[in-house]
Amino acid sequence: MSNSMTDWTIILRSLRARLFSTITTVVTVAVAVALMLVLLMMRDSGRRAFERGSGNMHLLVSADASPLVSILNGIFYANPPRRPIAWSKYQEIAAKFPLDFAVPTQLGDSYQGNPVLATTPEFFTKFQPVPKEPWKLVSGKFFATEWQVVLGARAAATTGLKLGDQIALTHGAGGSRDTGASKDAQPGPAPGHVHSEFKYTVVGILEPTGSAHDRALFTNLNSTWIIHAFDRRERAEHAADSSKDHDHADHDHDHDHDHDHKAHHEPPMTLADITDEDRKVTGLYLRLITREGSDSPANLPQIFDMLRRDPTITVAQPNQEITRLFSIVGNIDQILVGMAGVVMASSGIAIMLALYNSMEQRRRQIAVLRVLGASQTRIFGLVLTESALVGVLGAILGLVISLLGVRIVTAIMRDRLGLVIEPLLSPEVAMLVVVATIALGVLAGFIPALMAYRTPVAKNLKPLG
Amino acid sequence: MSTTLALHIRSLKFQYPGTADKQWTVNILDFKLAPAEQTLLTGGSGSGKSTLLQLVAGLLDIQQGSIEVAGVSLASLSRAKRDLHRGRTTGMIFQTFNLLHGFSACENVMAALMFSSIPPSQHRATALQLLAQLGIDKPDSDPDRLSVGQQQRVAVARAIACKPALILADEPTASLDPENAGGAMDLIQQTCRSIGAALLCVSHDPAMASRFERRISLRDLNAQATQEAAR
Repeated sequence: MSNSMTDWTIILRSLRARLFSTITTVVTVAVAVALMLVLLMMRDSGRRAFERGSGNMHLLVSADASPLVSILNGIFYANPPRRPIAWSKYQEIAAKFPLDFAVPTQLGDSYQGNPVLATTPEFFTKFQPVPKEPWKLVSGKFFATEWQVVLGARAAATTGLKLGDQIALTHGAGGSRDTGASKDAQPGPAPGHVHSEFKYTVVGILEPTGSAHDRALFTNLNSTWIIHAFDRRERAEHAADSSKDHDHADHDHDHDHDHDHKAHHEPPMTLADITDEDRKVTGLYLRLITREGSDSPANLPQIFDMLRRDPTITVAQPNQEITRLFSIVGNIDQILVGMAGVVMASSGIAIMLALYNSMEQRRRQIAVLRVLGASQTRIFGLVLTESALVGVLGAILGLVISLLGVRIVTAIMRDRLGLVIEPLLSPEVAMLVVVATIALGVLAGFIPALMAYRTPVAKNLKPLG
Repeated sequence: MSTTLALHIRSLKFQYPGTADKQWTVNILDFKLAPAEQTLLTGGSGSGKSTLLQLVAGLLDIQQGSIEVAGVSLASLSRAKRDLHRGRTTGMIFQTFNLLHGFSACENVMAALMFSSIPPSQHRATALQLLAQLGIDKPDSDPDRLSVGQQQRVAVARAIACKPALILADEPTASLDPENAGGAMDLIQQTCRSIGAALLCVSHDPAMASRFERRISLRDLNAQATQEAAR
């Protein structure tokens, strides 16, 4: 129990007296603030996430249906590309054009739901995920030979793998964190199966890049090809088995990946077993030779055009595709931010209505305070402060909700769209929204405060009725 | 203090905007209230007593003439200063007690002390002492839970909390039965005497008359001024 009454006692008591109204108003404001903050966070970091990942490549070649799809698949790991590019095509492109690098990549395998990018060591030495920010290792080294795997920062965090750990990869995206332990492949689309006979060793863990690459695992193309060759030989043997023994119902499945009988094939395949048919890639990261300090070579449009004429491949300029994507998304987010602004404005109206409704019951209280010595200005301030306080509480609660909410939204973005967004709330933006909310509270309180200011004293001290 | 009048009204004229010229609602030539003096002001409805009380309390702006409360001319003060001056020098008691809902008896008294010069750290002690003197044994209970008599005491305690020079009582017994009314008036009059506050009681209750040595009808007060002007 405090020793004296202050204006705060009166304000807090008033908020408490109409607790339900206070809570609903604060929650209304909080939801509006949270919506605004989440959108702003997503907008800033969403754009950043899109801008990172393509790094210093100029062109991305794939066999995907469209340039945008190839960017989403090849750089943001949305889905494993469905169609591969032949190795001969890679050799042709690498030989034909003046390239700084042509890094072949292959997607299709996964580990506990994380995509595995099979590539060459050049991926780490030449390609930079963010321009002028080459790959850095937290620990270990980049892969040098087969059966070595390097973890992206987020992949390392989510899988909990450490240097020296041995893992088996899932062929196919695996849909979920399916370890593929079941003996029979489940019926249904794209079942993954684990190549437990081929163990990879974790040799390096990367620093975060803020791009989608962070959730990938990187391994040598040769390893993937060897597994592919292994699968190919198995299929051939199954086919042979089935043609020899029609009664053997177990092996009737046209795509049986039961590797229980791998004992036949020991020792596993080696590089020597690979044919050119196995050497398939799903993407090529290309960078043209540039002059020192320039990043837009003059021959880029020309080479882009030449590649585009090849009907077997799709060529994309990541920067262009991302700009195009953002010209769509950019409009949407402006509309969303505008709508969030409208929601905030209506939460201000909610504050005003709640206070306005309370004024009727408070006329007598105000008149009594006036008699006791309160000036009109002080009464005005009391109501305005009360309104601002609702704004402050709403802003704080909204900030908390937004920080929780953005985690949910980024998790959805990551799982559904393969976009890694590290939501960052810049203190300036947060401050701006908080200050705007308090200003909104003050503004909303203005009319009720004016009513309080003008409350006639004598009239409101008379007996009721 | 004893040399300063609790209330001194001189040449006060007041009319509400929109009324005919020279139709004064209040027109008082000279009215004095000495310290601790108790005066009954009578008058029916429409006699302007409510207006006069608001003027004395500083809730209405003075148009002509002057009102001094505890030696300070109200017209010389800004509105905000006048509000503070009222809080410190004038206690008001109403027909309804006008206690603050949602605040304890003690807090009601402390609300008056908010505007006093007493240091905040002593507010609670002061309020509790005052309530104890007036016989409130549960100072932290909600006034709604107190008896009518006790609520009246809380209202009186609040009115005198700042040790005012002047108490304005506006129909203090109008909503009470005769028995309770007598008790309430005893309380108000005794309390005013004990703190040396002057009491200006406005009432049209005939039973009040015997309680006051000085009785003035507002009509007479206004008439005086009119005669003076006519002379």
